[in-house]
Amino acid sequence: MLLTSSSFKRNVRRKLEDPSLQRNMKRFGGRFVEARAAVMTEVDNLEEIRVAAAAIRDRSLANLDSYLVEFEAQAQARGTQVHWAETAQDVNRILIEIARTNGVRKIVKSKSMVSEESGLNDAVAAAGMQAIETDLGEYILQLAEEPPSHIIAPAIHKSVEEVAELFSEKHHTPRQTDIPALCREAREQLRPHFLSADMGISGGNFLIAETGSVVIVTNEGNGRMVTTLPRIHVAITGIEKVLPTLNDFSTVVRLLTRSATGQSITNYVSMLTGPRQEGDHDGPEQSHIILVDSGRSRLLGTELQQALRCIRCGACMNHCPVYQNIGGHAYGWVYPGPIGAVLTPSYVGLENALDLPQASTLCGACQVVCPVKIPLPELMRVLREKSFSQGLRPWHERWSIVLWRTAASHPRLYAGLTRLAVRLLRRLGGKDRLLHRLPGLDGWTEGRDMPAPSGQTFRELYRKRKS
Amino acid sequence: MSARDNILARVRKGLGLPGNIPGAERDKARAYMAEQPRGPRPTYGWGDNVARFCERSEKLGSTVDRVASLAEVPQAVARYLQSKGLPVSAVAWPTLQDMPWRTAGLEVQARAAQGSDLVGITGAFCAVAETGTLMLLSGEDTPATVSLLPETHIALVDVTRIVPGMEEAWALMKAERGTPPRAVNFVSGPSRTADIEQTIVIGAHGPYRVHVVCYG
Amino acid sequence: MQVGLFVTCLVDLMRPRIGFATLKLLERAGCTVVVPPQQTCCGQPGFNSGDRESGRAMALRFLADFEAFEYVVAPSGSCTGMIRCHYAELFPEDSALQARLNALSARTYELTQFLVDVLHLERVDSTFAGSCTYHDSCSGLRELGIKKQPRALIAGIPSAELHEMDKPEICCGFGGTFSIKLGDIATRMADNKCQDILSTGADAIVGGDLGCLLNIEGRLRRLGDQHTRVLHVAEVLAGPEPEGD
Repeated sequence: MLLTSSSFKRNVRRKLEDPSLQRNMKRFGGRFVEARAAVMTEVDNLEEIRVAAAAIRDRSLANLDSYLVEFEAQAQARGTQVHWAETAQDVNRILIEIARTNGVRKIVKSKSMVSEESGLNDAVAAAGMQAIETDLGEYILQLAEEPPSHIIAPAIHKSVEEVAELFSEKHHTPRQTDIPALCREAREQLRPHFLSADMGISGGNFLIAETGSVVIVTNEGNGRMVTTLPRIHVAITGIEKVLPTLNDFSTVVRLLTRSATGQSITNYVSMLTGPRQEGDHDGPEQSHIILVDSGRSRLLGTELQQALRCIRCGACMNHCPVYQNIGGHAYGWVYPGPIGAVLTPSYVGLENALDLPQASTLCGACQVVCPVKIPLPELMRVLREKSFSQGLRPWHERWSIVLWRTAASHPRLYAGLTRLAVRLLRRLGGKDRLLHRLPGLDGWTEGRDMPAPSGQTFRELYRKRKS
Repeated sequence: MSARDNILARVRKGLGLPGNIPGAERDKARAYMAEQPRGPRPTYGWGDNVARFCERSEKLGSTVDRVASLAEVPQAVARYLQSKGLPVSAVAWPTLQDMPWRTAGLEVQARAAQGSDLVGITGAFCAVAETGTLMLLSGEDTPATVSLLPETHIALVDVTRIVPGMEEAWALMKAERGTPPRAVNFVSGPSRTADIEQTIVIGAHGPYRVHVVCYG
Repeated sequence: MQVGLFVTCLVDLMRPRIGFATLKLLERAGCTVVVPPQQTCCGQPGFNSGDRESGRAMALRFLADFEAFEYVVAPSGSCTGMIRCHYAELFPEDSALQARLNALSARTYELTQFLVDVLHLERVDSTFAGSCTYHDSCSGLRELGIKKQPRALIAGIPSAELHEMDKPEICCGFGGTFSIKLGDIATRMADNKCQDILSTGADAIVGGDLGCLLNIEGRLRRLGDQHTRVLHVAEVLAGPEPEGD
């Protein structure tokens, strides 16, 4: 996927000034938040389950090589062909190879964020094949030629009017703005593709080591279609998605769906193990899985390893006040919101996404809701430390920090400087005691006044009162 | 070295483990898998599994009927289809082909489903009370398409096979089948989407209606 | 009971009256309050900007200034959160120092937390009159669990009325240096907060962290609102003093 994270600030400005996006994000606002809060009342020992889920994910990661090898052995024993992709480009190459070998022309896809990392659809098109997104949100975006802006609700930034316009234009049908009617229209468009496609591509929410299975957690039924109807099924997922056992999965999924959409469970939880078996009347003849590294292994053994616990529920972005205001596209890559602010610099290079770890007030709302207790603010701070120590931040920012640190470490110097500063600023504040503009602090004063200090420091006044 | 070996070597290096391929740790991993620990669950109880299953199914948007025995099922299915004005011809799992559908006025074909089938009738391997979920295993006589392609999915559930949670469902599968079949589908109500303006719409790509008939 | 007052850099420089209000509250509650004159900043601005050294230097400064006290109180959830949740982790190589920092952190409290949870104060004697709405600052809320304490104390003021705003727990967009580095987003977040505040019709917006309050006040004034009072909870509880100090 085209990376625009390096122009984050410009992206933000554009998004903040885009009235239709702002309207759509306002509507999005609290719905997921409210749904999650409501369904979590069913889980009276939420904290206990979160701790257990985090421990399960930690165990998987601490023994990742063993569980991957176990997964591979079990999957192969069941007839699944296991492929390993070191980079995003490798994912495209492997997939196209499988498709070419089998004379594939049409591919139906259910949602796979990993395939967004590699820009798979473009690569498939360039290879002369057709890949059709079938998740309703992804389908809308494929028609609109836009990337997803949320990991579980990819078209969250679009309004029904925009969808109506798009469908009418692309399907050559009368424009309709009734949401159920639009859903039916998409169903009718896509059904023939499910039945005629040669290959189905899905993501994988989890890999189960003990059985060699891929699990997908879905609502629409398209995930079941693409893994059942075409003659070839390829699942693409990250190496970190492995879980040792089905019991572990049972624990984790209790939190996944509740955290994501506020459902106790999604409509479909499908576990796929190998191709069609002897005597079966349906199911694919070939089953493949592509295990993707593409930057993940680099995080192991570092503080950022905790980010690999992520089960992609999206709760962090749903609850993030920054995301709520700017939407997902501003982040400039596949994963938006707090988890994206950690994963994007980790996967594509910190220097290519410098502003993302800064794009948070560290308010902590994400950490509180994360079902696997990823300390997202702490991880963003780790990346800020890297930026700072590697000299990647602007000089004036580094300089101000060092100046402040030096002054604050020397109380007499600090007292002298602050005495001067508060007097100067008090004077600049004038009669209404507000600084409307302050050179060097444009970031603040462009949209807000800066209340002026009252003119003397507390310590000065306190000393005077005491004497 | 292959991509596989490179990835595994990088993983081990990151984790601070010696060598390029899993050694003794793999035994530890296997021991954990063999041990099969179960995690914590919500602690509230619900007494009767059948009542819980029915209540949760309805909450998911399914409709639920309860009959005394398997023999009464065809009549119950016919009643449901007629009351909804739905076609009385259906495709069904081959496991159900010997049931007296015809005497109930239904035209039932036992086979995998096609795109044009409007009603699909399945059994269930078991059902999960906690969430009101059906567990369907694919197989020669239990094709996965029957619960997927038709607009209406009717599922027959033996009340003696309603288990408390997903953990018990897996245990039952392992006890009776050993390994999982090609597809295990947990179905919880009719398919849905909220991809346009977060408005929940029932009936996305899968069934619009799920009707559960509990028997026994 | 002997208390060291950590006045915090923002209060020290920008709003000394909040420091005096804090002092008054603590003394009225029977504490002997000492203000170590060498104190400066908790180090959070640098620490959150990626300069660990800021955190370490300020942690040592804080330790030198406050270790002798039975309790330390600060009129800020954010600075208290920095001290309680982050100081010790800055010295992974020195467990003896970590132990001292942990011990000091455990006796360090945000003002309302100290009044309610430690002193078990149920009422304060305040002349504040009017309606107010309370903004939960993020660090206080999520790092320290401060939610009920300020509300309980405000509820005890006979002439004060509390109107809850929609989403009092959502961040106002301050975030320390975030408010300057990503001013566009900060302004929008402050704007949302201001709308929620104005919708309550309250006379005053009250909070426990001056950073958030400056952000909110700055946006309110820019929006042309001159009448909504922006007050620190200490000022409300101590009874507001005349403007000017």
